[in-house]
Amino acid sequence: MIDAIFEPLSYGITLRALAEITLIGIVSGAIGCWIVLYELSYSAESLAHGLFPGLVAAALIGAPLLLGGAVGILIAAILVVVAGRMAGESPDTAIAVVITSLFGAGVLMALSPDSPAGLQGLLFGDLLGTTVTDILVAAVIGSAVLVALWLLHERLLAVGFDPGSGPALGVPVGVLNLILLGLVATTILVAVQGLGNLLVAAILVGPAAAARLLTRRVWPMMLAAGAVAVTAGVAGIYASYYLKTAAGASVVIALVLCYLLAAAAAQLRDRTAAVRH
Amino acid sequence: MPFVKEGVIEILLLSVAAGLAGTWIVLRGLSFYSHGVGTASFPGLVLADGLGFSAAIGAFGMAAVFTALSALISRSRRTGADSVTALVLVTCLAAGVILASDVFGSGAGVDSLLFGSLLAIGPADQLLAAIAAVVALVSTRLFSAHWLARGFDQESAPSLRSGSTWFDLALLAVVAFTVTAALSAVGALLVVALIVVPAATVRLVTRRVQTMQTGAVALAAVEGILGLWLSVKTDAPPGATVAVVSGLVFALVLATRNLRRSRAAAFAITVLGLALAIAGCGDGRAGEGDGRITVVATTTQVADLVAEVGGDRVEVTGILRPNTDPHEYEPRPSDVEAVGDAAIIFRNGGDIDQWIETLVDESGSEAETVDLGAGLPVRISGGHVHRTGSGSDVPAGGTTAGGADEAGDTDPHWWHDPVNAGAAVATIRSSLSGIDPEGRSGYRADASAMSRRLNSLDASIARCFAAIPPNRRRIVTEHDNFGYFADRYGIRVVGTVIPALTTEAQPSAGDLAELERTIEDENVEAVFSETSAPDDLSHAVATDTGVTDGGPLYGDSLGDSGTAASSYIGMMRENSDRIMRGVSGEMRGCEVE
Repeated sequence: MIDAIFEPLSYGITLRALAEITLIGIVSGAIGCWIVLYELSYSAESLAHGLFPGLVAAALIGAPLLLGGAVGILIAAILVVVAGRMAGESPDTAIAVVITSLFGAGVLMALSPDSPAGLQGLLFGDLLGTTVTDILVAAVIGSAVLVALWLLHERLLAVGFDPGSGPALGVPVGVLNLILLGLVATTILVAVQGLGNLLVAAILVGPAAAARLLTRRVWPMMLAAGAVAVTAGVAGIYASYYLKTAAGASVVIALVLCYLLAAAAAQLRDRTAAVRH
Repeated sequence: MPFVKEGVIEILLLSVAAGLAGTWIVLRGLSFYSHGVGTASFPGLVLADGLGFSAAIGAFGMAAVFTALSALISRSRRTGADSVTALVLVTCLAAGVILASDVFGSGAGVDSLLFGSLLAIGPADQLLAAIAAVVALVSTRLFSAHWLARGFDQESAPSLRSGSTWFDLALLAVVAFTVTAALSAVGALLVVALIVVPAATVRLVTRRVQTMQTGAVALAAVEGILGLWLSVKTDAPPGATVAVVSGLVFALVLATRNLRRSRAAAFAITVLGLALAIAGCGDGRAGEGDGRITVVATTTQVADLVAEVGGDRVEVTGILRPNTDPHEYEPRPSDVEAVGDAAIIFRNGGDIDQWIETLVDESGSEAETVDLGAGLPVRISGGHVHRTGSGSDVPAGGTTAGGADEAGDTDPHWWHDPVNAGAAVATIRSSLSGIDPEGRSGYRADASAMSRRLNSLDASIARCFAAIPPNRRRIVTEHDNFGYFADRYGIRVVGTVIPALTTEAQPSAGDLAELERTIEDENVEAVFSETSAPDDLSHAVATDTGVTDGGPLYGDSLGDSGTAASSYIGMMRENSDRIMRGVSGEMRGCEVE
């Protein structure tokens, strides 16, 4: 039994994957709650495609790829907020327009003979391919994101639950949305290198959605989301070790199962509450 | 050009469904849902490929599952619609990854199914688009009032939750059907550009629903045709061009409308968009006929072999270029044109270049397609790498001739064995002589020169590896595509890092741990990555086990022009040299004359 727990830990690959998923899990537990409250799931799933044109541009002018990707994804985030506000549209429509246009532009730019093959793959990692550098970067940037969220907490809370209250409280709503989406973009940029696009989308939304079923208060929700993310991450990696299923996908399935469990628990709680009344 | 006409018809048919569905998508906040339905088709395609039914059935089946799950989850609990869509989407994709990696071990063919093209439209695609148009028209006429009422009811949080009715389900189904019908035209990632962006653009100038619908249908048609026309002019993939055109039109309309309010921001968007568009329009391919025989070759290595045999008499158009990822291939107008004009077409065979069949059908080509993989002297079955067990090493020069009868199971990476390349050269010579009898003697001379070079290449490589004891010729590769090379030179590929050939495949922690144990138990010398894929996994395995990180091999394609591996012979030299360095602990390379 004890062996079954420690055996996977004797492999560097699983150990690094566990470290990365724990770090990213904690960060996404916190930022995921704002993603769920501000209804930014589409951005969380699609912004990663926005780094593609930046990546190609960087390759063409010989700049570092990571820098190009970072600029690309931040431009995408800014365009989403600006276009959404100017058009008076929901962020969803804005992101559909911005991301498909940027991705199309990236595809056209990649036609240049100077653009190397498989560019996008260079920034999209696999959970098991996590390097020590990935973990260090995740720790540093993740802490910065957590600090930023902590500083912005009251304002995010006020605007999140009552968008109309922003101006009254002296909070520029547009700037706040911009900062939040910028933080989401930063988290995605860091996380895709270690985890890959699919798993990043899942871990940003899944744990927070599960936690929201259990509590409406924000601090407990963040703690619960972080706990769900880390638990599902560890469970998924162990499942991938013993059942030999694709690692990233196994964590995604574990995250979804946690959500379904939370949904069942919430249902049960409501029913008990109804019976008591 | 016939293929452009087919594309235009497809756009006109699709724009009806796209404009109507797009209006509802924008009014009801269903953008993410429509993106999700398109992207979630992946597991359907994997199942279709693995079980052998049509890709369209797979895509429609998945769309139905996606719609049902979204409706089910959003009905029961108070999770936001966007979160529900995200959860259902990642579940479908994860299921697809597990199916592709662990159940079917899918080949590269699955990837090309994700990329539809307006340049390869058949009657079946147009029929689907026509059905989608009728469905969208009829359902809009019948349910408009219901959909509208709910759309304005919950303006703050337009969603599919809180008492989702049958009308909402009908709306989701119409959107799903439209998206899936459009998949074969623009592919999963850009389908939103054709459906959502025109409606969002029209919404900037009118709020009246009927005007929006008419306008969105018209704009989708105009943008689609403009994009297709531009793509033919600049020789760019049409899907991406339509996306950029639609985005630019949106930005322009937005800028014009808001000019007074925020001039600077509007200009920034417009200028940025224009800059991106111009950057993308640079690379047109020339190459008009000059009396030479026009020949099309699918992959980079087939193109090189054909050019060696054809010499100056033939003009070879290689469709895959070294700098395009073969898994993400989307044809360009010049590709379809080249296929249409070709006197003869050479393909590799297998699922590596299955897409050529559609291109041949839709380009109106009458040319013969020669499958070089059909008559090879050496054949091995796919998926022959075994991760465990320590059977006897394959002797040098030995071949596993079994499996030749099961055509579906033949490993299509035959060119890694020079003997097969020699046979391909002979096939190319006789095919070219057949269509161009006057050039017969030239082809014969070039082919025999090439055969001699292949023979000496083969002998040199064999000599290199003969210097290494057979029990040290043990390697691990990124994908399972070096079986022929390994069999030819008595190398044992003890395992592979990635379990399947699709780019979506992921390894499992258990398999990698077992691979590391095998590497240590069997004294594997080196782990190799591949030029066209990220190397972080093979790098991690090499670091953890302390064996040589052999660097990238050329698995699916030749190298860029200008590199040593830009020709077939150069590619084989590079691979041999790198593998040799790997198994000799960097002590010696393989000098091939």
